Amino acid sequence: MNKLVLILTCSAVTLLPRIIPYFASSFLKKLPVFIRKCMLLLPVASLGALIFPLALTDFGPLWIAGLAGVGTAFLTSFFKGPMILAIVIALASTTGMLIAIG
Amino acid sequence: MGNAGKEIKDGIRDGFPIFLGYFTTALAFGLLTRTSGFSFVEGVLVSITNFAGSGQFLMMNLYNAGTFLLGIALSVFFINSRYIFMAASLSGRLKNPRSILGRLMCGFGTTDEVFAVASFKGIKLPYTYMAGLIFTSYSGWVSGTAVGYIAGTFLPDVVQKAAVITVYAMFASLLGGEVRKNAKALLTAGVSALINSVLILAIGVSTGLSFLISLIAATIFGAMIYTDKEAGIE
Repeated sequence: MNKLVLILTCSAVTLLPRIIPYFASSFLKKLPVFIRKCMLLLPVASLGALIFPLALTDFGPLWIAGLAGVGTAFLTSFFKGPMILAIVIALASTTGMLIAIG
Repeated sequence: MGNAGKEIKDGIRDGFPIFLGYFTTALAFGLLTRTSGFSFVEGVLVSITNFAGSGQFLMMNLYNAGTFLLGIALSVFFINSRYIFMAASLSGRLKNPRSILGRLMCGFGTTDEVFAVASFKGIKLPYTYMAGLIFTSYSGWVSGTAVGYIAGTFLPDVVQKAAVITVYAMFASLLGGEVRKNAKALLTAGVSALINSVLILAIGVSTGLSFLISLIAATIFGAMIYTDKEAGIE
């Protein structure tokens, strides 16, 4: 796949949903409540599928290293740790696990 | 200093915490573009042209999984559809809603964090303030990506191999924060995790299609179990 085409396509589908409403905001208020609710819940609903199963299968037989990373990141944020701390702890856990069992 | 100067400075000051958060998150993104086989220019270009956290991580994620362009574009669009409402909401708070250039700038910069900060500002928003806020945030995002990419050169192999976890860690971290606010988030995300795992591992559906099916099913499930207020409908 041509990376430039990929980058610019993603740019378009990111920026258009942000820019168009500034020029057409009255239309959106007319959408049914259920549709508006779905759009607000999409990000949360996506998170499960974004993590599983790829976070595990990306590491093949060492899948437990992936599980260690997502588990520690989840817990760090659940207990109010900032995102960067969650990412650093996850990276350390996964690296440690890869060294221990790899 | 005139009014405009004061408003820009005000925007920069409010944008500084976002700068810090974006810079550090973008470090992980820069490293990810490197381990995904992007050149330095390509990696930084993603952040320059997209300026979106979860959308960019999702794009790399699906790209690495070998998803087709259309699948990536649809998925990124879906995850970004929440911006439609943030942008619509902010557009009602602008001080001079007619300026075309101003609206383009605000649209470009309507990220989750910029939206949150601007929404709670409690004033009619002048474009000068928005410019300070948006460009402070934007510079953190772009410079973080560049530094993250370069820093990757100095990391040992095993850490680079483990670096793929940063993207999943970001998602898990977002989920942790959502679950703390409302346990229904865990149930909603659990539905998409389960469907996606079954489709990919047991049935062998491609990752892009599987992601879309899981996303739509879990979203409808979530919309049924969340009350309007919990979902953020005013």
